[in-house]
Amino acid sequence: MIEALFEGLLLVLQWKAFAFMLLGVVLGFWVGLLPGLGGVTTLALMLPFIYAMTPIEGFAFLLGMHSVVATTGDITSVLFGIPGEGTTAATILDGHSMAKKGEAGRALGAALASSLVGALVGAIALAVAIPVVRPLVLSFGSPELFMVAIVGIAFIASLSAQGGRGMLRGFLAGGLGLMVATVGQDPQAGIARYTFDSLYLWSGLDLVPILIGIFAIPEVIDLVLRGTSIAGDVPKGRLNQGALEGVRDTFRHFGLTLRCSLIGTFIGIMPGLGGAVAQWLAYGHAAQSARTAEERAGFGKGDVRGVLGPGAANNSKEGGALIPTVAFGVPGSSSMAILLGGFFLLGLVPGPDMLTTHLTVTFSMVWTIVLANIITVVACFLFLNHLARLTVVRGALLIPVILVLVFVGSYTANNNYGDLLLMLFFGAVGYLMVAGGWPRAPFVLGLVLGKIVENNLYISVARYEAEWLTRPIVLVLAALAVAVMFYPLLQARRSAARGG
Amino acid sequence: MERLASRILGIAVMLAAGAAVVIAMDWPFKAKLFPIAIGVPVFCMAAAEVVWGLLRPDARVGAMDFRLSEHLPGKVAARRAWIAIGWMLGFLAGIVLVGFPIAVPLVVFLYAKLQGREPWGLSLGLAFGVWGVFYGVFDRLLHLPFPAGWIQSWIGLA
Amino acid sequence: MRHTLALGAALLGLAVVPLTGAAQSPHFEGKTVTIVVGFKAGGGYDRTARILARHLPKYLPGRPNVIVQNMPGANSITAANHVYAVAKPDGLTIGTFNRNLVLAQLTNVPGVKFDMTKFAWIGSAASETTILAIRSDLPYQSFDELRKSGKPVVIGATGPGANTYDFPLLLREFLGVNFKIVSGYSSSADIMLAIERKEADARAGSFTSLRPFIDRDLVRPVVRARASEPGIEQLPVDENLAPTPRARAIMALRSAPEVVGRPYVMTPGTPDAILKLVREAFAAALKDPELAAEAKKAKMELEYTSGEETLKILTEVLSQPKDIVEEFSKYIKFGE
Repeated sequence: MIEALFEGLLLVLQWKAFAFMLLGVVLGFWVGLLPGLGGVTTLALMLPFIYAMTPIEGFAFLLGMHSVVATTGDITSVLFGIPGEGTTAATILDGHSMAKKGEAGRALGAALASSLVGALVGAIALAVAIPVVRPLVLSFGSPELFMVAIVGIAFIASLSAQGGRGMLRGFLAGGLGLMVATVGQDPQAGIARYTFDSLYLWSGLDLVPILIGIFAIPEVIDLVLRGTSIAGDVPKGRLNQGALEGVRDTFRHFGLTLRCSLIGTFIGIMPGLGGAVAQWLAYGHAAQSARTAEERAGFGKGDVRGVLGPGAANNSKEGGALIPTVAFGVPGSSSMAILLGGFFLLGLVPGPDMLTTHLTVTFSMVWTIVLANIITVVACFLFLNHLARLTVVRGALLIPVILVLVFVGSYTANNNYGDLLLMLFFGAVGYLMVAGGWPRAPFVLGLVLGKIVENNLYISVARYEAEWLTRPIVLVLAALAVAVMFYPLLQARRSAARGG
Repeated sequence: MERLASRILGIAVMLAAGAAVVIAMDWPFKAKLFPIAIGVPVFCMAAAEVVWGLLRPDARVGAMDFRLSEHLPGKVAARRAWIAIGWMLGFLAGIVLVGFPIAVPLVVFLYAKLQGREPWGLSLGLAFGVWGVFYGVFDRLLHLPFPAGWIQSWIGLA
Repeated sequence: MRHTLALGAALLGLAVVPLTGAAQSPHFEGKTVTIVVGFKAGGGYDRTARILARHLPKYLPGRPNVIVQNMPGANSITAANHVYAVAKPDGLTIGTFNRNLVLAQLTNVPGVKFDMTKFAWIGSAASETTILAIRSDLPYQSFDELRKSGKPVVIGATGPGANTYDFPLLLREFLGVNFKIVSGYSSSADIMLAIERKEADARAGSFTSLRPFIDRDLVRPVVRARASEPGIEQLPVDENLAPTPRARAIMALRSAPEVVGRPYVMTPGTPDAILKLVREAFAAALKDPELAAEAKKAKMELEYTSGEETLKILTEVLSQPKDIVEEFSKYIKFGE
């Protein structure tokens, strides 16, 4: 196995494969940065170009592109408050708040450094887990997935403000998210739920326009209100100390970064959970690390930990998602589904063989992820401080550009004007939530978990009747859910005891 | 502002959840279980939030989220918020009337010039730059479909 | 005099050239042909369209640029409506969408604004038959054995409207096989994982999508629908096992669109001459050796079924007697 590890590295370092990887990285950089250029869509568009490449080159290209998207998506989230990708929305909450305080450089540095850590952890996990990955994935069936989703719901408690009313609003938002997720055709009886005979609503509501609307629109309105640049009236000098400070933050909170990377890897390994979940669970966990009530209240307003958590989880989940794709031929995320197509094109059959006879190829994929991320992060650092200067550009120049990104980004999700209306509708909802003190994170969490909760519950009951409740992993997860749910109470009590 | 917005949301959610539960009643069991199981608690929670808001009108709860800027006097803030909304709806109208490829540079130019009172050169330059990237990437490179606006259809160009 | 003759000859020459020029000037020259796909990028319909887009230009007079645009929505009803009524019948728009849309039309799904028989049919690029595959370690070697054993077999499905759900449903309802259909998996790939976990025992689906798992020996096909593909010809056909003519008719109705596995149409009203050109281009492109090599790599089996034949099949589907359609609707809903 060690030989395969080194052979894999040598394969990637061949100049042709390396060149293709660099090309992929350049492409991926822009794909992540521009909202509306979805990582998944672009991967699909690139597939035809790899017909002429050898397997190693093809993978270097595709993976190079793919590994980078989550990293640069964070940049757009931090600078403009627009999710560059559906998976980088959580970074907006604290990342963009930091930008508004003039700490854009620091936020970007933190996002990039934590992304790198996350990618490395994900890649290491992929390499290390190879012997145990099959039994691991096989032991997580639908009952376990249901419970993981319940744990996710329990995280709502950590995403809500302290106190009874704060929790009430948090769970309200979460419940609302769960309800919005039911729109569309249900997979049990085939009923078109809440579609009001509209074709647009029939396939359900797309996540990307909702995310763009609920996060970006309130920021734009606030920007117009303030009449200033994004960074407001903060003196210019502060910006430049940024990036390195962000890197230091990553290591200052290294435990958190590491834990969130592991959360991301785990979510990535579990197929069926979807890419958007990891960032919110990581964010919730980061919020749990607040030691006093004030610290906790500071989340969502510019706490660097709120950037580290999602930043790490986003990248690690992709390494994790590669595992079921490679080992089982079952894509761990939608981008992996495209990569799977790439597998076939390049003549490889995913399955147990990839972990034995073709282990070298698998390791070359690991190395590609590692190298692509290192290159991207280093390259970004070179002009990070310039990027951060965008936050002092006059609002009047920036706002129309942001609006264009918002509208184009929402439209290109499905090439449907309906998505523009959807985006504006949730923009209004988001604005009211921000004005009314309702947290948005639980809403998004409910939205992404809704289908997972419902469908896995039905599958579990249909398949196992009542006995799924007594499966060992289910019980462990249930206990975890209870613990996660009541953790904020523990936090509050501890900080009151400290007199804080 | 927090009080008003929270009340609007609370009532809206009550109505939505209530309607959702009522609509779901007619469906077969498997289709209606989840919506009702979520809808009923959401209705109750929304009602609780509204009542709480009426009983304790001065409480400021906040959320783990950003706060809208509050340093501006109410009237100014409200007017600017409406202006922002106006621009967004205007952009939407532009997209429908003349299509994305024209609406994009148009809104950039108009906003920079009218709202921001930026100099002509900068406004035009920015509009052209944005249009260039938009056109180059989304139209030429990706061939994404941008339907023609209504006006073009009426005058028979499209 | 000589000048007049020369002038006359020149004029004559000038008059003739445009005439011959017009007859030879290709319709598609300098234009862009758009293939509208009713699904997101990356799926089977999309990949088929993209392979075609790369090889069609050679065979269309004037070598136009052929691009693919995705118009997902309502399971491709949106795209079909668009190609039917909004696109112009100038031969520059081609549509491809869910093969089961004819069933959506048959069962009066709200929102359907097209009539399948009125499209200008190019044909189909593949036939996609449904098979049922069971986990290899199960003791049943044939469908007959499975039936006779009477033991419950857990079938993982995504939801009503998908062949993962509909195919086993009909087998259960009409043949009485003891299937427990567990629905709600987020994708057919997730069902494969459930099979490996022994949470599910079997899955129905297109042969194309199941092939990698059959090749890997995770599952074994036991029964198929009517359209045959190389490799599964010897399997029993569901219709042939139907106990009553009505059951057979309903199964046949479900399977009928599968021969038109990857439908390609143009807007109604497209001039016949253009339709002919495009049909010929399609047929030729699908025989192109480079396309065949690419398709093979992508594990796709592409084969041309003519426009006339597809029209015949669809007309037959739409002219089924009302009572059969009513009973069909009880079992089969149009969906994801």
